[in-house]
Amino acid sequence: MGIWQSVVAIINDDNEFKGVELRKQDGAFEILWTRSSEDADVDWRGFAAECGLSVEPTALEGTDSDRMIVAGFNTAGTIFHRTTVPAAGDKEIESIIQLQAETRLPLPPEQIELTWRADQLRDEQMGVTIAVARKEQLQKFVGKVRCFKPAKILLNSEGIVKIWEVFFSGNKDNAVVLSTGSHNTQVCLVEEGRLSNAVVLDIGIEDFSAEVTEEQTETTERFAQDMRSVLDLFGCSNQDELPVFVLSDGSASYVSIVSSLRLAGLNARVATPDINGLMAKSELSDEDIYQYRTPIGLALMAFDAGADELNLFERLYIPMQKVAQRHWLYSPKVTVAIVSIMLVLLAIVSYAVDIAGPSSIEKRLEASVSDVDMNLLVKRQQLIKTVTRERPDLLDLLKVVNESGERGITLTSLSFKKGQPVSISGEASSNDQLSRYEKNLQNAKGIEKVNYTANTNAKSRKITFTMTFDYKNFGRKTARSKS
Amino acid sequence: MIEKLSKKDIRALKFGIIGAVAIILFVFGSAGHKRWTKAKANGAVLRTKLDAIDVDKARQAGLMSIVPVFEMPQVEEEQKFLFRDKLSEQLKRAGIRNKPLQVQPGRKSPQSGYKLLLVKCNATCQFVQVLDFLARLNENPYLVGIEEFKIKCDPKKQGEVELDFTVSTFAI
Repeated sequence: MGIWQSVVAIINDDNEFKGVELRKQDGAFEILWTRSSEDADVDWRGFAAECGLSVEPTALEGTDSDRMIVAGFNTAGTIFHRTTVPAAGDKEIESIIQLQAETRLPLPPEQIELTWRADQLRDEQMGVTIAVARKEQLQKFVGKVRCFKPAKILLNSEGIVKIWEVFFSGNKDNAVVLSTGSHNTQVCLVEEGRLSNAVVLDIGIEDFSAEVTEEQTETTERFAQDMRSVLDLFGCSNQDELPVFVLSDGSASYVSIVSSLRLAGLNARVATPDINGLMAKSELSDEDIYQYRTPIGLALMAFDAGADELNLFERLYIPMQKVAQRHWLYSPKVTVAIVSIMLVLLAIVSYAVDIAGPSSIEKRLEASVSDVDMNLLVKRQQLIKTVTRERPDLLDLLKVVNESGERGITLTSLSFKKGQPVSISGEASSNDQLSRYEKNLQNAKGIEKVNYTANTNAKSRKITFTMTFDYKNFGRKTARSKS
Repeated sequence: MIEKLSKKDIRALKFGIIGAVAIILFVFGSAGHKRWTKAKANGAVLRTKLDAIDVDKARQAGLMSIVPVFEMPQVEEEQKFLFRDKLSEQLKRAGIRNKPLQVQPGRKSPQSGYKLLLVKCNATCQFVQVLDFLARLNENPYLVGIEEFKIKCDPKKQGEVELDFTVSTFAI
């Protein structure tokens, strides 16, 4: 998933489409635009198009790559259930919840979709919020919103809890939040700062508007009665101090709702928008915030990447991931084209160098030496090299032969002939001396394969010897013929 | 117009274009290839020549220490005269009184295109004179190498040696 610049949230509540685009910048939120439509002919596709979203099936992926699109699902047909499970792994909890759902719900498992969210572990027990809805209803909804490829489908009631927390000063961990629309009221139970149950009542602000001056009327009584039933359903009937927040745009109608609830013994209070940290292109009023409270809440949720939202559509809708646009260099076609061009260039350059190289060298040589001179120079150089190989350094040989012998050894002759070993003759005082002489010669540079024959003169006791050895490569017939 | 063509026609057209391009490439490419091959061969010959004459400084110094002077070989008669003359001069300079130098035809030349001439010398002299002669022998610009070298001393005659050597030169 890439980094989103802004979030577009669209909902259909009270038969009215509402959409906002929210941008987060430097920790502050900015509403870029708001749009609503009460036109009965407008559907999800039409409204999404009105909001500037691409709704064509062939639209390229990434058309709305800079903004995330979120659709809100009305939880009127969704059942919430609160239970506790022993501390266990996700798979075990899943199994327990499936089992509970099968036993408690009237529909077979294949006709329902459920999702759950676990709270923090307390006393080896874990509170779990379960949301269940008919699969068919969810599939129909997916069919409606798929055209504008939302990245997420979130529950409206979760959006209400979110905006209550962020822009209606919702600082209580446990509370009941009422979001009153024109013809209905969304009642959300908040536990540990998160939605744990929600119910939709079919009494709206318009039902109160007509009765605004008479407090104990049939509507208010019915509303108070419904609320008691809801709290009973939530399991909070005996919690008198549980705060009940009625989201309000500041008008008197909401005050009358709160009054009726107070009269019914509930700890009700009005929650008005606090728009610190919220900016907009045009001036924002409390009414505006209130009107678009649910889509703004959903957009806030979408920005919260770590939010553990209840996702009823997990198995029914796989959103398109924002694909990071790959650099054109990674395209195989471009790579092949570049390689081909490089190869052609290489061939051209090689050709040009091979064609131009010899002629340029010839020109330079012609400028300095003539062709005849050039050939002569080459021949001369080759001859010098040959002569170098043919010329033994006899002075060096005499020096080595002389230095290797110690006092007492007298040399009488030395014979060198190419292709034959060097031969030296002489006299030595003892065999040891001769042996040392042989050893010294053997160790001398350029001399190898030293052999000698010796005879002792009976009269003088001197040893006459003849020694042979190879000097460099001049003694080898093969080497000489090669050279 | 292209819309009116069938898939087969388009395929045939594609093959035709590919064939035409291949023919053009072959015609011009083969001429270019010939030129390229010739140029490469010329380049290789030139590079070989350059390699032959372009020796690095250290190697050149090594060559110069062994062959400090060198004259290109002349025709046999002239070369024979020049080499013998220079060798006599070197012997004389070393104080060696030699017997007349004998010129002999040599063995197979180590350098194709040149004959190898041998000059044989016998002398009786002092050992020091031999050393002096050998030290200056490389200064003979016609010398190729010492083919044979024999030195024998008589213990009874102090310092006197019998010298017998053969040196070679190139000739055309």
